[in-house]
Amino acid sequence: MIRRLTFNLAPGRILGIVGESGAGKTMIGRVIAHALPAGFAVTGGSLRLDDDNLVRLTPARRRALLGRDIAFVPQEPMTALNPVMTIGAQFSEHLKRLGITSRRTRALELLDAVHLRDGAALLRRYPHQLSGGMCQRVLIAMAFAGRPRVIVADEPTTALDVTIQARIVQLMAELQRNAGTAMLFITHDLRLASRICDEIVVLYAGRAVERGPAASLLAEPAHPYTRSLQLASPTMTGPRRALLALAHRMPGLLELAGMSGCRFAPRCPIAEADCLTMDPLDRAAGPMRVAACLRVDGAHRIAVSGLPVAPAIASGKPVLRLHDASKRFRSFWGATGTWAVHDASLVIGAGEFVGLVGESGSGKSTVARLIMGLERATSGRVVLGDRDVTRASAADARHRLHWAQMVFQDPQSALNPRRMVGDIVTQVLQAGRRPLDRTRRMERARELLAEVGLGADLLERYPAQLSGGQRQRVNIARALCAVPRLLVADEIVSGLDVSVQAQLLALLLRLRAERGIALLFISHDLSVVRHLCERVLVMHRGDIVEQGPTETVFASPRHPYTRRLLAAVPPDDPALPWQPFPDEAELMPPAGPPRAAVAVPSR
Amino acid sequence: MIAILFLLARRLLTALPILLTVSILMFVALRLLPVDPAAMSMPPNATNEDIAAKRREMGLDKPLTTQYAIWLRGALHGDFGRSIQLRRDAGHLVTAALPATIQLALCAMVIASVLGLGGGLLLFHLRGGASEALGDLGTTVLLSVPEFLWALLFILLFGVLLPVLPFIGQLGPQFSVVRVTGFLLIDTLLAGQGSAFASALAHLTLPAAALGIAFSPAIMRVLRSGLLDVYHEDYIRQARLRGIGEGRILIVHALPNAILPTLTLMGVQFGFLFGGTLLVEVLYSYPGLGNLMVDAVRNADLPLIQTVGLTYCIVVLLIGMTVDALVLVLNPRLRAR
Repeated sequence: MIRRLTFNLAPGRILGIVGESGAGKTMIGRVIAHALPAGFAVTGGSLRLDDDNLVRLTPARRRALLGRDIAFVPQEPMTALNPVMTIGAQFSEHLKRLGITSRRTRALELLDAVHLRDGAALLRRYPHQLSGGMCQRVLIAMAFAGRPRVIVADEPTTALDVTIQARIVQLMAELQRNAGTAMLFITHDLRLASRICDEIVVLYAGRAVERGPAASLLAEPAHPYTRSLQLASPTMTGPRRALLALAHRMPGLLELAGMSGCRFAPRCPIAEADCLTMDPLDRAAGPMRVAACLRVDGAHRIAVSGLPVAPAIASGKPVLRLHDASKRFRSFWGATGTWAVHDASLVIGAGEFVGLVGESGSGKSTVARLIMGLERATSGRVVLGDRDVTRASAADARHRLHWAQMVFQDPQSALNPRRMVGDIVTQVLQAGRRPLDRTRRMERARELLAEVGLGADLLERYPAQLSGGQRQRVNIARALCAVPRLLVADEIVSGLDVSVQAQLLALLLRLRAERGIALLFISHDLSVVRHLCERVLVMHRGDIVEQGPTETVFASPRHPYTRRLLAAVPPDDPALPWQPFPDEAELMPPAGPPRAAVAVPSR
Repeated sequence: MIAILFLLARRLLTALPILLTVSILMFVALRLLPVDPAAMSMPPNATNEDIAAKRREMGLDKPLTTQYAIWLRGALHGDFGRSIQLRRDAGHLVTAALPATIQLALCAMVIASVLGLGGGLLLFHLRGGASEALGDLGTTVLLSVPEFLWALLFILLFGVLLPVLPFIGQLGPQFSVVRVTGFLLIDTLLAGQGSAFASALAHLTLPAAALGIAFSPAIMRVLRSGLLDVYHEDYIRQARLRGIGEGRILIVHALPNAILPTLTLMGVQFGFLFGGTLLVEVLYSYPGLGNLMVDAVRNADLPLIQTVGLTYCIVVLLIGMTVDALVLVLNPRLRAR
């Protein structure tokens, strides 16, 4: 899995391990924790923490080091705290193990250091009473409690909202600087890594393809893979360009065994014959830079050009009209309620791509559910084409079939694991009054798979036999089956790697060029929205607080919330400083009916 | 605390219609039986006129709804009618027999819990090893033997083959204990009769063990699978990464989480267990509700059947309520709202 990985991490420095899923970056943390999955073992080499070789430790010595000298910040803060123990109990258990006597005082100090207010009250709370960001702050406080020599943070912000991600990352950097701790920062996000790390190692299929100082590595990638990663990520500034969509995918564990040359060669745009047979050794690629490539000076030749976006197909007829649509979820006693969506108005024309951004809980998904008739609007109107579907009746549902279809976030759970791909994508033809026979359905399934760039060989596969990207394509194919005019896509690329994401974004744009399909693209990723959508809506606590052309909104945001969202994204240019807004609201979970204080600016 | 009171109040409110429904069902079903309580309560030489008069006196000539209304009014005032066979107040008969059954059921629950939780931990400990299949086989065998079969087996083994424990009644014939609470184990202690206490305990051992062992394997399995699930959770891995020892992880972190689904199941199991006392009591001639019920059924003693049946229903509801409250105490996530 992992071969010949070498890195040094000095006290007070942050080393970033960057790679897509399957690259083996999590395995590094597991080697350190000695928690390898069954069937894996470290076959050679050493991993030294001062005088200890972490690979060959006695269990007692390892346990002595864990928590005290090596601390971990987890990926999913909400599930990393024991749900039946108070924060205080878990804190004091940890401090007791560290041999700290005045535990309460120390706990309060630590909570203060991670900018959590009212620590005394917090210690009495249970994890489910805290937001994800608060849980992560608690876990960070615990990690730093023993002044460890090294902290391993494995995707510590992936599960959090963007604005919270920015603050957590900066908090970790601040604590790390003050304590002089060494930190291993494992992430899939090259841009984020370059912001907080001193040095970066880029992993591909278990091989460190490139390493070097963060700033110079990002400014001038020496390895074709690093360069490709950069070109596959949409940007927040500069002209919009097409994304590099690498063909195929990263080789899996079984394929690795048969590969003799460079592991990236089969996908590399500049690979030549010798790349497939010769294992590239580390070569110098500039000051303090190393890259494992036979053509270290060739990476800059990889480029993409041209506009990504076929212009919107102008058409007077709107596909979707949402008129002051509101949804209120009543509380138990029915007296008060929470406005999940409040007076949302929105029009999408044929062939128009509209982005809907906001943090979790902002009501984005409820808007999608209102359009799809999964929720009935409390007030307002939902119109698809020429039919009012607000009541979400059975007849409305039949109409909706050919107007709007939804693609869900988690491609895995959206597909019935017991049905074959061919049946899944033509489900809609199987139901209803005139179901089609299997031969006709398979014919249609073949067309649909071709349309989303999948081969007919997948027809008889089960979802478990597909990769994440393939599953999401199957989801899209299913949504296309009834030839809808509008796709509602709820975070459909957020779980996917950038190279797969680039492929899917290209697919959506091609669908528009070929069939004039419209899209409501719900996402927390502003750069993806900028790449894909001409128009954007910003939602905050149930209100659409700002809307307009994407370029205008992102270049000169009017609403403070939009500004905060934008500030949370690290600037593309590594030379520019990154100063996200401080946000006090995150420190306590919102209570009461959420209403934005500022009126919607009209555009 | 407020959440617990709220839950109990809600459960009590839902218990009322349940009890009402059960009492109606029993009332109607019992009246459909081809027996005549009036005739049965008269001496054999009574004439038809006497019986008719008795029927009028008992209100049996009135429509069923009126009869039920009369019964319900009485029941609400604590009057459950008179046993036809024993000619005593049905409510008194039940309160006299109830402590013995509760004592048996509680001891059986303790045994089921100890065996179930201990066995669950053992099964969890055996996971992945060669003896895992053996453990599975063991619980399957335990699961497939019903409580009355255990009761018979224990009588044969420990009563007849190796006569080490008594298996008839709840106390040796040489003792007499003043009734204070009705719970023999408590009354013997209150009276300072050590040997009577030992005798009561000995009499309780086999029936309680038979019941307890029959209801333990389901608890074992649920605790085992609960622990297996919990050990995949992030907070267990995170605790390990903080350097917390495996023993503490099991006791402090895993068990309090894994016990929650187990407790819910135990609530259901203990409801069944209470019903299971009936057969076991009969087999051990144990003077509790079960024997009262069987006698009442044998004699078509309708008021007594109705009262005992309702008592079973109330106790099962109470068990469920207690377990729910306990789960609420142990699971802070449920207390949120």
